[in-house]
Amino acid sequence: MSTQPQQVWPSARLDDVARLRAIAAGLPHAAFAERVIAAPFETVWAIFGDLERGVPRFEWSVRSLEITRREGDALEILSTGPFGALGPRGKFRAIWRPGWCVMTDFAGIGQIGMAASPEGAAHTRVAHFEGSRWLGRLLRPWLARAVGRDLARLAAICESEAR
Amino acid sequence: MLAAQRGDVLAMSRLMDRLAPWMARICGAIALEQADDAAQEALVQVFRDLRTLREPDALRGWARRIAVRESVRHAQRARAAARTHAGGDVEAALTADARDPALAPDVRAVLARLALEQRAILVLRDLEGLSEEEAAAQLGVARGTVKSRLFRAREAFAKRWLG
Repeated sequence: MSTQPQQVWPSARLDDVARLRAIAAGLPHAAFAERVIAAPFETVWAIFGDLERGVPRFEWSVRSLEITRREGDALEILSTGPFGALGPRGKFRAIWRPGWCVMTDFAGIGQIGMAASPEGAAHTRVAHFEGSRWLGRLLRPWLARAVGRDLARLAAICESEAR
Repeated sequence: MLAAQRGDVLAMSRLMDRLAPWMARICGAIALEQADDAAQEALVQVFRDLRTLREPDALRGWARRIAVRESVRHAQRARAAARTHAGGDVEAALTADARDPALAPDVRAVLARLALEQRAILVLRDLEGLSEEEAAAQLGVARGTVKSRLFRAREAFAKRWLG
């Protein structure tokens, strides 16, 4: 005999934050942080996941992002750094879907990940990593502070909008 | 797979899409209440050690071995904790949720009443479709043990399933 069909088999819960945590574990040069925000998932992702209008509000290193190509969940993005026209500018490839975004520049040096999962109706857990293969782990402590500050800014924006 | 091993985050994201639901199912059926933690740790190990895997074709077997090992470890730890906290009424502690129809889907409830070793062999043979030899290698037991354990597991499953 055989046991039951696979669709009724119990399954562990591996939400997008849990998945991003695992990917970050495979990137020794990346700095990873997570945080619970007192705002519903829809409110948080409307900012965290809005690459063109939301990300420049909390990410210090980005003046603007423009999606130049979209094919399913695959995107190409043009970014402008904190000094505007003075740069630096970068081209990124990304995978984006609700609750999930990972991106890398075309040279494969800079790596970014963002994920969000609801924690009940009123809270959202967010996770974020940034890594650079250039200078590898040397840059990591500095990136860790930057990533923590990004999430703190994101939390302040989202919690203020949720009020 | 090779790109994911080199640390390409987009390739890692695609690999995650393939691995996470499958590993969640393995951990769900073996570790039950501890499935979320077991699946998270298994996934972290897979991505952390991905670059050490010499033969990409061996990925599935390697990841399965990690998922089974983490599931058994977490379930054993819970069993030990239940012994301490429940004053010997281990079965009652381990299957508490299985008797609550609101919390326990049918298969999950039946699996919760099987021994950990029986759940593991059912997953490997009936969910994963491994041969007796492969299941024996994954669990580190003799082929004859797999045979007898599977017979008893299927019998116990059918008995409880049919009520």
